[in-house]
Amino acid sequence: MVAKPEEKQTELLQGTLDLLILKAVSLGPLHGYGVLLRIQQISGEELIVQQGSLYPALYRLEHQGAIASEWGDSENNRRAKYYRLTTAGKKRLDAETEKWNRMAGIIAGILSATPGSL
Amino acid sequence: MSGQSWASRKAAELSSWLKAVTQRRRVEQEMDAELEFHLEAVTADLIRAGKSPQEAARQARIALGTALTHKEGMRTSLGLRWFDELGADLRYATRMLRKSPGFTAIAAGSLALAIGANTAIFSVAKVLLYDRLQIPNAEQLKMLRWIGDDKVIAHHSWGDFDTLPDRSQTSSVFPFPIFREMSLHPAGMESLAGFKEDGMNATVRGTARRVTVAEVTGNYYDTLGVRPQLGRAIQLADETSSESGNVAVISDGLWSREFGRSPDALGQTITLNQAKLTIVGVNPAHFTGAKNVLESPDLFVPISLEPLLTVQREKSSDLVNPDFWWLNIVGRVKPGIPETEAQQGLGVQFEAVVRALATVKQGDTIPRLQLVDGSRGLHWADRMFKKPMMVLLGLTGLVLLLACANVANLLLARGAHRQREMSVRMALGAARARVARQLLTESLLLALLGGCGGLLLGYVGRNVLPRLLTNSWEDFNIRVPFDWAVFACTALIILATGILFGLAPALFAARTEVSSSLKESAQTTTRRRRGLSGKALVGLQIALSTMLVIGAGLFLRTLTALDSQDVGFNTDHLVLFDVSPPAARYPAGKDVALHQQLEARMAGLPGVAHVTPSATAYLAGSMSNSDFLPEGEKVVKNKFTAEDFNTVGNDFFPTLGINIIAGRGFNAQDTATSPKVAIINQALAKKRFPGVNPIGRMFRADRDDTQLIRIVGICSDTYYYTLRDSPPAQFFVPYVQQKEVHGMTYQMRTSLSTAALAPVLRNVVQAVDRDLPVTDLRTQREQIAATLSIERALAALTSGFGVLALSLACVGIYGIMAYSVAQRRNEIGIRLALGAQPSQVRSMVLRESTGLTVAGVAVGLAGALACTKLVRSMLYGVSPDDPTTIVVGAAVLLAVAIVATWIPARRAAGVQPMDALRHE
Repeated sequence: MVAKPEEKQTELLQGTLDLLILKAVSLGPLHGYGVLLRIQQISGEELIVQQGSLYPALYRLEHQGAIASEWGDSENNRRAKYYRLTTAGKKRLDAETEKWNRMAGIIAGILSATPGSL
Repeated sequence: MSGQSWASRKAAELSSWLKAVTQRRRVEQEMDAELEFHLEAVTADLIRAGKSPQEAARQARIALGTALTHKEGMRTSLGLRWFDELGADLRYATRMLRKSPGFTAIAAGSLALAIGANTAIFSVAKVLLYDRLQIPNAEQLKMLRWIGDDKVIAHHSWGDFDTLPDRSQTSSVFPFPIFREMSLHPAGMESLAGFKEDGMNATVRGTARRVTVAEVTGNYYDTLGVRPQLGRAIQLADETSSESGNVAVISDGLWSREFGRSPDALGQTITLNQAKLTIVGVNPAHFTGAKNVLESPDLFVPISLEPLLTVQREKSSDLVNPDFWWLNIVGRVKPGIPETEAQQGLGVQFEAVVRALATVKQGDTIPRLQLVDGSRGLHWADRMFKKPMMVLLGLTGLVLLLACANVANLLLARGAHRQREMSVRMALGAARARVARQLLTESLLLALLGGCGGLLLGYVGRNVLPRLLTNSWEDFNIRVPFDWAVFACTALIILATGILFGLAPALFAARTEVSSSLKESAQTTTRRRRGLSGKALVGLQIALSTMLVIGAGLFLRTLTALDSQDVGFNTDHLVLFDVSPPAARYPAGKDVALHQQLEARMAGLPGVAHVTPSATAYLAGSMSNSDFLPEGEKVVKNKFTAEDFNTVGNDFFPTLGINIIAGRGFNAQDTATSPKVAIINQALAKKRFPGVNPIGRMFRADRDDTQLIRIVGICSDTYYYTLRDSPPAQFFVPYVQQKEVHGMTYQMRTSLSTAALAPVLRNVVQAVDRDLPVTDLRTQREQIAATLSIERALAALTSGFGVLALSLACVGIYGIMAYSVAQRRNEIGIRLALGAQPSQVRSMVLRESTGLTVAGVAVGLAGALACTKLVRSMLYGVSPDDPTTIVVGAAVLLAVAIVATWIPARRAAGVQPMDALRHE
């Protein structure tokens, strides 16, 4: 379950970490490390999240009210801080997902253009 | 961002930030716990993957990176970072200010003085010059005035009266019947209300006292739009029915003082000039009546009580006499009618009514009616205080400028000293904005210190200032509310200066290449620019100080000239007080008898050398005059033949110590039945009897009176109502030979103090009449001082400002010269090494500061000469370009400059060449 050697992984696009965190937390409350694992797991170990940028991002999202936190017991009975999506965060996740999909579609369209299709 | 509304996000951020700030310790603990949990979880996974515990822990730590950096990032996310930096800046700024207490004290002190003085003076000026009456829509209120030529019909009047420079005369008083007629259907006006304020004797809850009374018409309250806070107002019905009309509405002040704000005050009885009145209402707290905005009359009564309350001045009652002008009129223009139109319509009506009702003699002219702004009442305070307040405002403006220059100079010098520090900070990676913010924090902290001091000074000062302007024995309380707007405005000006000049060095630093200012001495790169702006500021300080010092000198000389004036009589141990018997109880003749009785009783008191009642007190700002027509002189119509006079007791001349130069004084043989006599002063003898011996000559004091008065003596000249004119021509008549005298001021030569005298006098007077108060007990010296209160206040304040300015200039010169010497240490070392004598170096430094001072003084003198012309009318015994004041002022400035330069100059002369050359 540990990060694979780096050359095999894709760098995270600028500004997408927030979206990924929101998505990860939307599937169920997670602690910080859990968020990291879930993103890597869903991405099929393709994406790696810099551990250093994770916590500032979590704090920023919580500060903005998109996620909320609560201390609870972890799977091995340690106190851990669990994050969950708030209503505002849900709205934001939906809006940004939609924006992302549109953007991805547009860019894919542009990139697949051939001289004949113009 | 889309999806989450901006407002909800900001709200979330705010509450999260507040939580983080207030529960800082918990936030930090949670961050630690969270990161620790992360490490443990990763380590556990690694161990499960087969690593040794040590290796697992090591790899986990490597993967996470420095916890410290993460925590900083987390804090930034919570918005805590700038808060932390601010805290650090503040701590650093406090440390810096504490490290140089001299700088801090001078900078914060001058800020405090400037803010405090400005706040106090502007607050007072606002009340005295700009505040409106506290009534609904005060700006719509109009006062009626008339303006006419010197043959105007108003021969007998009681009220304000001004002669304008073009000899036209203006006043705001009208005969009651004319008001009544006009108020029935006032042209263009909604309504017209009449009022008159006067002092009377009242017995409230058993104590006799002097009160101010406003006699008002029944529609007064409706016209002003004021409702009592308790009970009812004076109504139209009060004016018509003589039974229910004995009522009074009291002021909020009287209600608090005498009735402790108890509602039981309603229905209680007050004795006013012997008339019994029932209290029916209490005015709202800030209502001051229509006459002025400063102070409310104590009582408001229906004007129909006038015949009952006041002295009958003419043959018929003031309410029916169409030739006695005494009533103030106030009104509001009908909505929709232009003011000029209303004035015109009312003017036509006025002229018709005057022609119909008043006695128009041949040659009499009818004045023109004017509607003037009534939002500040009769504006009497404007006339009295406008000039001095303007001067003070100008002066405080200068002080404000001076304080700004001082702060700017101090901050610039300090900034220059710290240029190196700034460079080091930037070299270590501080952003320019970060450095600027640090300097800004320091400036703001300084401004905060000064602002707090200024708040305190302004708060106290606003109540001290009116006390300087009024006399001590009258209960005259001008309410000066603390003006936050003024305070904020002044504080903002100072703050802007602080920010501007606090940031300037930071901006210089930002422009300077880091390496260059580290490599070389910081001084060489910026010396030119810094030196110039600093010197310009100090020059400005010197110029402003020169102006303030010369202003102070002129006002001080005015005060000493007035103070040292020989008034013509002996003011030592001379005590004054007033006794005003109400006319209703003491009609003509009885009042004279009362004063005779009181005079006799007082003369017998222990410790009393002489006592005399007089109609007019001296140097108290009041006067009486009357026709003076020597027998045989032809009466020319409209020729001004009046002279100042006073009605006095037989003991008047010995009491005041006025010498009888020829003839005799009054004595016990001069009685009501003996032949009428008078004494004239030398000025009158010279003016009206040139080359003739006036003694034995007869004159008449009223052109309609046939009774002749014989001049029996000539006395020396004295000042009369003001010190500013030369002693006027005067004549004196004994009060015992008058038909009526009303209230009189007693002059008493006594060894007793006023405090010891007060109960004694009260006993004497109240033994005769227990409703009669002794009022305005004061010494003649206090009386003179009171007429000079404005001059005194101006002299005190300008001197204070002058000293302040001098000390600021002193600090400025010292600062700039010390800085200059420090910068030129190298150069001075070289000079000394090459053989210059220390005295040469010293005089070089002194020359530099003297040059600066002379330039500043020259500019200041030019400014002072331009400004002092404006106050010419306020000076006495000294001209605006008084050479002594100018020379002394300039000399003081130069002396201060030399003193301030002495220490830096000595330091320069004491430089050791080798040290100086090794220094850099």
